[in-house]
Amino acid sequence: MTLRRIATVEDLHSYLHIAMQLEHATIPPYLTALYSMHPTTNADAYRVIRVVVVEEMLHLTLAANLLNAVGGTPDLSSEGFVPTYPAHLPDGETDFEVGTRAFSRETIETFLKIERPAVAEGETRFVSRERSSRALLPAVDAHEDDLHFYSIGEFYAEIGEGIRRLHEEMGDALFCGDPARQVGPEYYYSGGGAIVKVTDGASAAEAMRTISEQGEGLGGAIFDEEGELAHYYRFQQLLLGRYYQPGDQGGSPTGPPLDIDWDAVYPVKADAQLGDYAEPGELHDAIHAYSATYGEFLARLDEAFSGRPDLLMPAVGDMFRIKELATQIIRNPMPGQPGVNAAPVFRGLAPVEVS
Amino acid sequence: MPAQIDHAAAASIDYDVLVVGSGVSGAIVARSLAEKGLRVLVVEAGPGDELSVADYESYLTRFYGAAAKDNNAAYEVNPNAPMPRSPDVRRLQPGHPDSTGYLIQNGPYEMDSTYTRVLGGTTMHWEGKALRMLPEDFEMRSRFGQGRDWPIGYDDLEPYYRQAEFELGVSADVADQAFYGITFPPGYEFPMHGLPKSYLDQIIARDLDGTEIQLHDTTCTLSVRPTAQARNGVPNAAYDDGLGFIPVGAVSTHQVDEGGRCQGNINCVPLCPVQAKYNARKTLAASLDTGRVDILTQTIASQVHVGADGLVSHIDYQSYGSTTSPEHVTGSLRARRYVLAANPVENARLLLASGLPGSNGLVGRNLMDHAYLLTWALLPEIAGTMRGSQCTSGIEDLRAGGFRERHAAMRVSIHNDGWAWPTGSPYTDLVELVDDANVYGAALRRGVVDRISRQLMLSFMVELMPETSNRITVDSRYIDAMGNLRPVLSYSLPEYTMDGVAASRRISRRIFQRLGAEDKTHYDPLDPGYVAYQGEGFVVRGGNHWAGTHMMGETSHDSVVDVNQRSWDHQNLYLVGPGSMPSIGTSNTTLTLAALSFKTAEHIAAELTTRPSVTIGG
Repeated sequence: MTLRRIATVEDLHSYLHIAMQLEHATIPPYLTALYSMHPTTNADAYRVIRVVVVEEMLHLTLAANLLNAVGGTPDLSSEGFVPTYPAHLPDGETDFEVGTRAFSRETIETFLKIERPAVAEGETRFVSRERSSRALLPAVDAHEDDLHFYSIGEFYAEIGEGIRRLHEEMGDALFCGDPARQVGPEYYYSGGGAIVKVTDGASAAEAMRTISEQGEGLGGAIFDEEGELAHYYRFQQLLLGRYYQPGDQGGSPTGPPLDIDWDAVYPVKADAQLGDYAEPGELHDAIHAYSATYGEFLARLDEAFSGRPDLLMPAVGDMFRIKELATQIIRNPMPGQPGVNAAPVFRGLAPVEVS
Repeated sequence: MPAQIDHAAAASIDYDVLVVGSGVSGAIVARSLAEKGLRVLVVEAGPGDELSVADYESYLTRFYGAAAKDNNAAYEVNPNAPMPRSPDVRRLQPGHPDSTGYLIQNGPYEMDSTYTRVLGGTTMHWEGKALRMLPEDFEMRSRFGQGRDWPIGYDDLEPYYRQAEFELGVSADVADQAFYGITFPPGYEFPMHGLPKSYLDQIIARDLDGTEIQLHDTTCTLSVRPTAQARNGVPNAAYDDGLGFIPVGAVSTHQVDEGGRCQGNINCVPLCPVQAKYNARKTLAASLDTGRVDILTQTIASQVHVGADGLVSHIDYQSYGSTTSPEHVTGSLRARRYVLAANPVENARLLLASGLPGSNGLVGRNLMDHAYLLTWALLPEIAGTMRGSQCTSGIEDLRAGGFRERHAAMRVSIHNDGWAWPTGSPYTDLVELVDDANVYGAALRRGVVDRISRQLMLSFMVELMPETSNRITVDSRYIDAMGNLRPVLSYSLPEYTMDGVAASRRISRRIFQRLGAEDKTHYDPLDPGYVAYQGEGFVVRGGNHWAGTHMMGETSHDSVVDVNQRSWDHQNLYLVGPGSMPSIGTSNTTLTLAALSFKTAEHIAAELTTRPSVTIGG
């Protein structure tokens, strides 16, 4: 996958499409780790991961608002919107793979890579690497092939700069989207961070700030302006076994200890595919029912982001259903695979591959 | 602990105000005063490790695992600061007090009302209805010749109701709530839009709206109306002249990042799993942000001391380290003003245990609670019972009118949680299907759904007038693990109320008839709360709406506190909460007591922040 610097509104649309894909791509891995924990165990770890998932949903919605604001059309139903795991992240980071796996130290280490802080400013945010064979996205017009972002933070920094450049060039004509397509606080809120309706340069900057600060803590701070801990450091707490508190330096949390039981976890199949459940039977049906439900949920989001923000309310019910179906699947051993439990497959509505 | 403070440090700080009790009253007083620059210490008898999501979820986990899911099931048994629990209540034999539970039941009526002694008080189990009282409720004596008038009226309290609606985060629409004299200032909006009516509400409304009920010379036309609730819904952008409202999510003193809007989880009582429902910990967390509030949990106010000048000189406390051991240390706390906000039973108990029954002997008397009559039936169609928060709508049309000269008014709640309260559904349905009907698998799943989704339960909340014989006392024979006197309850249901109960049963029959529902209501003479009245038997349940043990009034002769909830006898002592209310009408008490707390905080702040005028001598 390749990306060039944002030069046109079309480039910006492509970036924001990728941003939505990126925010979503983290959710199935996080959910799988979350659901794999034995009920009532690992309460601290459960909360830490859950909070990050909820904020990824916020980022997804913010990305949709940004895309709608600049005249784009969100599309969560397109082929390839949901990656086939294991996958590289859609922003072009290729030095690690992301999968749907049980809660473990290795899984959390991967999550840390997903949320790793940006390290560079300006031109150096691109690193030159071989193009990956696991590239996920339809290629954006490739002018500078083999350029990749080191981190999600760098990717968003480029979007932020792109919006600023285009806004300077075009003026307020950049924000030509229908304001009725914006999701506002009446239909979206959660404990962490606020939804922002994007209608101008200032609100676009505000939305971008929420996305990048909550995620990776661009700028090196572990807490953001609202005193919220960046995702990278949230996950790091799980490996270090201790909460961060205000005043701490990255890497040295001094808060209360976290109670983690790495063994109280269902050994779910890593990176499960539909092909893993080829045998007809209840498990096959449950997996397909799950995948279809997840796809319907994405279709509902599609509609919500296309001028029907009120549909986010029934989407809450969808999420309960997704969790219920997933936990049912995860309780079941895989036939013929001792020590491995079934895991849900997140395919979405795009045509499914048959192996 | 929520704040980095210990008892030794607290004893060395010059607090402006000492608040006993961390429930909604105490929390509001503490937050309001701290925001005006005053230094406040809150002591809570019960535990509460910290204001965190983890602490809250430990309660949820205990509730999920509890066999008996009463409204205090989420909290550990704590002999050091015990609390009443409804399963403790037994059918009384005349003349034999029952001391099984913490509350000594002296009868003749046995009361299953409870309150909660943990950080956050009884809002840690309340349901979240946030109803204003009707203007006529404040004038029961002059309008209907019953009970007592308040020394203030609806219009005096109205601005404080708005403050309370902000603090509790009330979801409602003005158009739905302006009934029977309730008024709002022009342009007023609630912080959040009303929560949607459940499907059950809509079915009931379809068949019931417009039904006329004759109560003496009052014709009541029934309609199903959405209920104002202190749970997060869709924020109203027009609130506060267009500034909008930001809902308060989960309580946490660090990493505030959870909590949602109401998702329709049905177990609002005791705890909302996503903290959409208000609890006083939200206010306490905000009060800590001022930096001027300290909280000491597991600290029991054991004795109020009054000096020769009639002022409170200090309050003794007992502080215990563990709920499993009575070991404790003692000490005294001092402040410029003292606020008892420990609920009507505990406020009265503490004063009486301190030898302070009041110069007119009224402390502990005029105890009130709503009498609840539960009626239940099976609807002729699937109604989606068990979806939504516990109650989303009710019937307000039996609350007002001239009939109140003759018998009590009542308010009806439509319960989305089906027969849970009267029969223990759905757990009892499941047990019956498995043990008695011997079904399993798909038939069992289907059977549970079939039984539950047609359940209808209407609760009639019947008002009660103050009577001096309904009271809390103490008795040296009954003490708790810390040696503190336990509350003794003497209580009977007045005829005025029982007439309302009997009318409620008749009305329920009319309603079920209109709905084509099969009446399944039955009252077992062996159940606690069984009352025979005029040839018919009813099981009357407590409402957990304790009120009236330190009633407010215009003079020190016939009341315990003034309009600012200040003790007539001890001018630096305030008794706050529903204990001050001279009547409770047919409104759940929380919103009104929250409004009163704001009024009292305003008064105390004015007293303590206004410099006395200085006369320069000549």
